[in-house]
Amino acid sequence: MTNYVFALVLGAFFGLSLNKAGLTKYHKIVGVFRFTDLAVLKFMLTALVVSMAGLYALRGLGVIQFPNVPATYIVGNLVGGLIFGVGMALTGY
Amino acid sequence: MSQIIQYIRREEWSPYVAGALLGVVGVLAVALSGSLLGASGAFENLAGLVGKALAPRLFDNLYFNFIMPPGITWGVVLLVGIFFGGMLGAWTSSTLKLRWNDDPLWQKVIGPEKWKRWTLAFGGAIVLEYGAGIAGGCTSGLAISGGMLLAPAAYLFIAGMFISGIVTALIVYRGRY
Repeated sequence: MTNYVFALVLGAFFGLSLNKAGLTKYHKIVGVFRFTDLAVLKFMLTALVVSMAGLYALRGLGVIQFPNVPATYIVGNLVGGLIFGVGMALTGY
Repeated sequence: MSQIIQYIRREEWSPYVAGALLGVVGVLAVALSGSLLGASGAFENLAGLVGKALAPRLFDNLYFNFIMPPGITWGVVLLVGIFFGGMLGAWTSSTLKLRWNDDPLWQKVIGPEKWKRWTLAFGGAIVLEYGAGIAGGCTSGLAISGGMLLAPAAYLFIAGMFISGIVTALIVYRGRY
């Protein structure tokens, strides 16, 4: 149960950050593919750097353990990404 | 303090600030729940739930039985949170309203008709979710959550996403690129 409360609260902050970065808007998402607005890239890579640093530091301290790492299957990941990109550029979501 | 409140009320934050917030959320998700953030998987859980009720034989396959079992998972609750968080964000900047199709760029390129926006959004979302299903996650579930664990899958996915996204944008915008 507490796990669901965490999910709800974390989700709310997730949604807040997406909204405030403007990633809920069509022109922002498409902008990154047109090279007119790189907010998506800045947002994604900042999130990556911060969470990566935090997670590895906490694991190094022995506070947390990593969950299952998403599986790598080269063709699937790449083809899935290619299909995903078409949908993303079309809808702007 | 009032400066912080003023910043929160702005419609658009610096992407670095918003990204850092998401980074902290990503760490907390692992630390508190041992889960990874993600959105597309939750849609599959929900689709499985509906599918199993409506067409049990069609959905009685490997994918919906084992890879993406249906149910109200952690991710589904997260999705509900994302929805209200997004609304909270719009509310704090007083931009919360129902929109059908009011993005100026979309109106300029594709047209002001509502049905075009809705049809393309529906079709594009199917393509998007299908791709996410094959790859094993979406922008949040694979690219960010996998990327922060340094999973090679995430970086292959990001490469694919940008290649086809740029090509699609080139085709859609042609001369207006």
